[in-house]
Amino acid sequence: MYNVIQLFVKYGGHILFVILEIICFSLIINYNKAQKDIFLNSSNVLAAKVAEQESKILHFTTLSLQNDSLMRENSTLIENLIAIEYSSEIIPGADSLYTRYSLIPASICNSTVHLRNNHFTLCKGSREGIKPEMGVISSHKGLVGIVRNVSDNFAHVMSILHSQTRISCAIKSRQGHGSLVWRDMDPLRMTLEAIPKHEKIAIGDTVITSGYSTLFPRGIQVGKIEKFSVKPGNNSYDITVRLFNDLTNIKYAYVIQNRFGDEQTKLEKEVDNE
Amino acid sequence: MNNTITTNVIRYILLFLAQVLIFKQITFSLGGIAYIHFIIYPLAILLMPVKTPKAVLLLSAFIMGLSLDMFYDSVGIHAASLVFTAYIRNIIIAFLEPFDSYNTDDVPNIKTFGLGWFISYISICLLIHIFVYFSIDAFSYVYFFEIFLNTIFSFIVSFLVILITQFIFRTKY
Repeated sequence: MYNVIQLFVKYGGHILFVILEIICFSLIINYNKAQKDIFLNSSNVLAAKVAEQESKILHFTTLSLQNDSLMRENSTLIENLIAIEYSSEIIPGADSLYTRYSLIPASICNSTVHLRNNHFTLCKGSREGIKPEMGVISSHKGLVGIVRNVSDNFAHVMSILHSQTRISCAIKSRQGHGSLVWRDMDPLRMTLEAIPKHEKIAIGDTVITSGYSTLFPRGIQVGKIEKFSVKPGNNSYDITVRLFNDLTNIKYAYVIQNRFGDEQTKLEKEVDNE
Repeated sequence: MNNTITTNVIRYILLFLAQVLIFKQITFSLGGIAYIHFIIYPLAILLMPVKTPKAVLLLSAFIMGLSLDMFYDSVGIHAASLVFTAYIRNIIIAFLEPFDSYNTDDVPNIKTFGLGWFISYISICLLIHIFVYFSIDAFSYVYFFEIFLNTIFSFIVSFLVILITQFIFRTKY
């Protein structure tokens, strides 16, 4: 008993301190909501962080799946954009849901951009419905190329950055059309030829596809006019177009399926043969 | 001896009233968050005579803290931090002990030990108090950044106020 009293005399201050602090903390935890919450779910703050990191990692693993679904969604949206362009031409009575153009999303397996004649390889082929002579775009803003050859699972695309590229293009809300070629080795710029020099154009005008070929529908935006000039003795403008899309880093593309394309080419060939 | 007790009790009450009635109302916000709080009530505990019994220190700190908490709507937070400060006070006084030891009725103020001693004593105790207070207030070191900012800014303003009061009210005890 004496020892206990001795203990209290000696360490009374410390014991009182501990007792008072215990009282304080029990008060804090019982009567303050924020502190109570933290105390009760003290792990929560930590667990939340761990869970956040975990979901980030798991999210990463589903990235390609999400990407696929976004691609499909995008392709329908672009289809609708193209359909709007042609909405005035729908034959009355025909099925209004029947769109002339549909898109096949595909990822790009292999690509070159720094050669004189560049190519892409798509990771989808004839099994997915890709056929030669189909246009390929990267979005509603930007061309990629034209399908040349297809195997079962792959498609070989001639890039628009190719010496033989000739794509019929027009300038938005202006008259006339010309053809888009790739002259310089610059993967961001192409040249628009054969716009007659009496047409009025301005720097900054948007170049769109004209829709005269079976490859690309009308109204796909290609790029902006960066500068133009008329060479002496020439009857047409020489227009430098800055492309909207950067072909050096594209990963996905959409192949354009023209439902009436075969019909059109067949008809045009018949006329030629006559 | 009687004088010491009277002075301390009056100072205790006055500091409590000043904290509750004046300094509680003043909070400056910095960048949208109120980081600057005036915390001067620990002075009542810190200025008690050096040889005050520990129990008296702790209990008066506890009562002061609880009464402050009534006004701040934060049951126990001020009490916990002030009790801690009262406990740590003697350790720091021992740590800062001058060559010729302490006398029984020494009062830790500028007059007795000089400005240098007083500044180091008050700043160490006050910094610890404010840090403990905001730590308990946040209750989790996830908010370390806020605790840190609160501590630094509040410490600076509170310390200035305390120094000024010490120059204005030169008490003997």
